[in-house]
Amino acid sequence: MLELKDISFRTPESGAGTQSPADRTIIQDLSFTFEPGSFYAITGPNGSGKTTLAKLIMGINELTSGSIIFNGSDISNLSIHERSNAGIVYGFQHPARFKGTTFRDLLSIAAGSDDEDKLVEIISRVGVCSLDFLDKSVDSKLSGGEIKKIELATVIAKNPKVAIYDEPDTGIDLWTIGPMVELLKREQKDNKTTTIVVSHNKAFLEAADTLLLIREGKIGYSGDLAGALPILEDLSVCTFNELCRGEDNAQCYR
Amino acid sequence: MLNAIDKQVLKEVADLEGIPKGAYNIRKNGALLGREVSANINIETNEKGDGIIIDIKPGTVNESVHIPVILSKAGLHDTVYNTFIVGEGSDVTIIAGCGIHCGGKESEGHSGIHEFQIKAGAKVKYVEKHIAIGAGTGRRILNPTTKVFMAENAQAEMELTQLGGVDEAKRFNDAKIGAGSVLLITERVMTEGNQTAESRNEIELAGTDSKTNIVSRSVIKGDSAQDFYVNLTASARCYGHIECDAIIMDNGINQTVPALRALHPDAELTHEASIGKIANDQLMKLMSLGLDYNAAVNRIIQGFLR
Repeated sequence: MLELKDISFRTPESGAGTQSPADRTIIQDLSFTFEPGSFYAITGPNGSGKTTLAKLIMGINELTSGSIIFNGSDISNLSIHERSNAGIVYGFQHPARFKGTTFRDLLSIAAGSDDEDKLVEIISRVGVCSLDFLDKSVDSKLSGGEIKKIELATVIAKNPKVAIYDEPDTGIDLWTIGPMVELLKREQKDNKTTTIVVSHNKAFLEAADTLLLIREGKIGYSGDLAGALPILEDLSVCTFNELCRGEDNAQCYR
Repeated sequence: MLNAIDKQVLKEVADLEGIPKGAYNIRKNGALLGREVSANINIETNEKGDGIIIDIKPGTVNESVHIPVILSKAGLHDTVYNTFIVGEGSDVTIIAGCGIHCGGKESEGHSGIHEFQIKAGAKVKYVEKHIAIGAGTGRRILNPTTKVFMAENAQAEMELTQLGGVDEAKRFNDAKIGAGSVLLITERVMTEGNQTAESRNEIELAGTDSKTNIVSRSVIKGDSAQDFYVNLTASARCYGHIECDAIIMDNGINQTVPALRALHPDAELTHEASIGKIANDQLMKLMSLGLDYNAAVNRIIQGFLR
């Protein structure tokens, strides 16, 4: 069980001088409990705090206040690698590109073994990466879709108790999204992985047991997709009209 | 014939557990320690007696030559001039390198000048490793020079590596690439403490459709300094690329100067260069897979210098 208790994250406003540090609140007093083995989708408008929330759970961003309890222990002060070894793994929205480091390196770090048979087994289990990826350098030559597949495989190779995927479908072709959803469902079912997917993609929203809608750093809604639909439709109406229609501005700000 | 130090040095510079198979020439402390020639590869001392000539017969394929140098005598500064003649249509691997074992206070150094005449259609892989070990405090100095002359449609791949232990290094690579020939150079250098390393490269794409790719990977630790210069000149329709990356750790300093010069309208030359610390997103990724900060740094550097 992963419990977020009144967590907040504030960051200095960019452009603010050091004399008067104005803080911008990204996540505000957010509380939620992720039940073991369930599938969650986190959605919401751009800039609402979805990625920040995911990074707070992984420890990439440090909490300003509040606490995170994982299986009864307070992990708020644990570093990234300690949380990872406790069972929480995060798949980045924009995966790092290395020089010289290969997919095999990443996979063996995640799996804790460089045994060829084991790595091949993981790749077959993930399905979306072909075997010839193994010795590819994880560098800027990879396409956006390829690197996202590699990212997904490294998360699964770690056998996480809680897997967080930040927009896993970015750059992925239409024909792979279906199998990717199936893969995450299969991992959830077979390994009881608590799965949290940050996404705007309907396929993931439909696959989730529970949907969390984040708005302005808070949970605007949590529940099933049917209940969220009216709010999602409401959000699709442009709220920038006032700004755009002004005398000085003649462009769309969205 | 090989003592424990020799064996250790040979293992480090040439991955050898003992005397190699095939043709070899082992030089120790300025003198010949052992030599073996093969039916296709001849090695003999040059006229001046200041180096060797390695003559590879045309059409020699799947053979290798080892020419390691061991330096373990305090105060010795050894200079050699070696010439490699790689015959037409041959396909060979040359493993060179110098290992210094420093046990005293006096400095030790080696300057190896390697000249390659790569004939038409030949293919050569040249692997050169430089290391310095030992508990002594004397400075360890390595100043290698590589001169490459490539005829038509030849291929050369050069891997030049210096990973730690060397206090001072001044490298000079000079190459002239003939029509249809391809030269790939990968240089990997790691410095630490107060070490300095400099690499100067003068590469000319001389023939039509010649190609080159020059890669430099530098890791600069402690208070060390590294400079990398490359002048790539195109005198014909050709393609050339330079890629130099330096990772600075601690207080290291670096200067990277890639220069492109096109003297022909159909020359296509590009370069990319970067200097900086280890990228944060790379560290975050490895830490999110369970490595602590130091282990993550080591893995990134290991991959970078591979």
